Amino acid sequence: MADITLEFIKTGLYTSIQDLGRAGHEASGVPKSGALDSRSARLANKVLGLEKDYPVLEITLAGPEILFHQAVDIALTGAKFPVTLNGKDVKRYQKIKVPANSILKFGYAKRGCRAYMAVAAEWKIEKWLGSVSPLGFGSHKLKENIINQNGQLVHFSTYNESLEAQEVKKRINLNPIKRVRVAPGSEFDMLSKEGVASFFGKAHSITQEASRMGYKLATELKLESNQNEMISSGILPGTIQLSSAGNPIILLADAQTVGGYPRIARIIDQDLDSIAQLKPGDKVWFSLADTVRK
Amino acid sequence: MRITAYGEDALLVNFVQAIEPELNDKVNLLANKLRNEDYITSMIPAYCSLTISYDPNKISFNDLKNTIEAIDLAQEKEQLEKRQLTIPVCYDDKFGIDLSALEDQLSITKDEIINCHSSTAYRVYMLGFLPGFPYMGITDEKIEAKRRDNPRKKIEAGSVGLAGRQTGIYPFDSPGGWQIIGRTPIQLFEPQEKIPFLFQAGDLVNFKRISSDEFSEIAAHIKEQTFNWKQIYG
Repeated sequence: MADITLEFIKTGLYTSIQDLGRAGHEASGVPKSGALDSRSARLANKVLGLEKDYPVLEITLAGPEILFHQAVDIALTGAKFPVTLNGKDVKRYQKIKVPANSILKFGYAKRGCRAYMAVAAEWKIEKWLGSVSPLGFGSHKLKENIINQNGQLVHFSTYNESLEAQEVKKRINLNPIKRVRVAPGSEFDMLSKEGVASFFGKAHSITQEASRMGYKLATELKLESNQNEMISSGILPGTIQLSSAGNPIILLADAQTVGGYPRIARIIDQDLDSIAQLKPGDKVWFSLADTVRK
Repeated sequence: MRITAYGEDALLVNFVQAIEPELNDKVNLLANKLRNEDYITSMIPAYCSLTISYDPNKISFNDLKNTIEAIDLAQEKEQLEKRQLTIPVCYDDKFGIDLSALEDQLSITKDEIINCHSSTAYRVYMLGFLPGFPYMGITDEKIEAKRRDNPRKKIEAGSVGLAGRQTGIYPFDSPGGWQIIGRTPIQLFEPQEKIPFLFQAGDLVNFKRISSDEFSEIAAHIKEQTFNWKQIYG
């Protein structure tokens, strides 16, 4: 098995190795993590014929510059970045044959926020509790799976089995204004009538406070009473909680597992991937999911 | 018990909203009862609530709600495992970096704070904030402490803190706003190869005051993998 090395000449804004995360350890305070736009991550692997939960590179807003020391096949999905391979534009959602000593260079995202890169080789990286996804905070755990140092190397060995590339039709929606479906959260009733009207009746801007843990929205919503701190209780990805200042916060895969703010709504799973493609300044509308309409 | 939908594939079971051992027992009993059901995808036990994610293809909200309501928690009581842990803590100033400020804030001496903190058994009500971070309570009102106005950028692993009427331990270096009164040499995060976390919800915890020398000794044993983990249990 020959070695394949990728050298990150530039890391990009926030580049990490992700798979579909580690559900089931929330009781110990471990967030699920995993690719924020899991659909695009799965599709990147599908293009190359890899398993859907195989690791991928998650690339955020400003992409990396990568030197491929050896030849390997890759695929790109998700956000639309200008990407060149040795100076020539490359296309998303198809197999790209990268020759040895090539440079793959990403620019700034033109549409969407996160791109995914699958690699048709065996990643030589660590897993913890069943996932390669790094913990998105202070811990040393899987820190090497965050690409945060220029010159960082990621090693692979050649893939043993032959892979059959697959065609991919449905792509993630990259509109900067999105409508997503929500189900009422467990504290939905704490919103005032006015609060409910603004929640469903207008577009909410994504603020600069946007990370893998969550997106803060610019809107201020009112509660029925001033008392909005509660005894801490479980929170799940997709939850929209209301901060003490009244700003809704969409919690994402790296969010804490417990919190003390009202959970006013939860974005349904099928629509959560598209949130990951919104960037600061983009807008989101909420509507009630059909299944919960009565 | 009040059960509400929490999105399309989860629900929240709220008991009476108060921080009390009996209520927290109910949370853990219910979690134990449901743990091995194939329709459960994950559960988050907290002080007085249980968040349950389930597979809606296997069970409906109404069926799960009925199942939960039919469980007689009073009958399950004996099955609850109660572990007792004794955690050594060095309260010297070099570790208890907020002790001096707390003397002024609480108008009691450092020794009184330390004696008060180390003379009661606490319950781990839940884990959260960081993987393996135990929220323990309830502390005596004499040492009820406000969170720091400006959270620190880095708190060292093992730091023991106070916030409100809770006490907790940082499992690894992390930013944080709790008032730090000491440090334990015991690892909370991957203490042994196969156990990623030292604590689980429902554990009973005592703090034992140790000297700086004892701290170094235990830390060295842990580093050299010669520490006898059994000594902190029971």
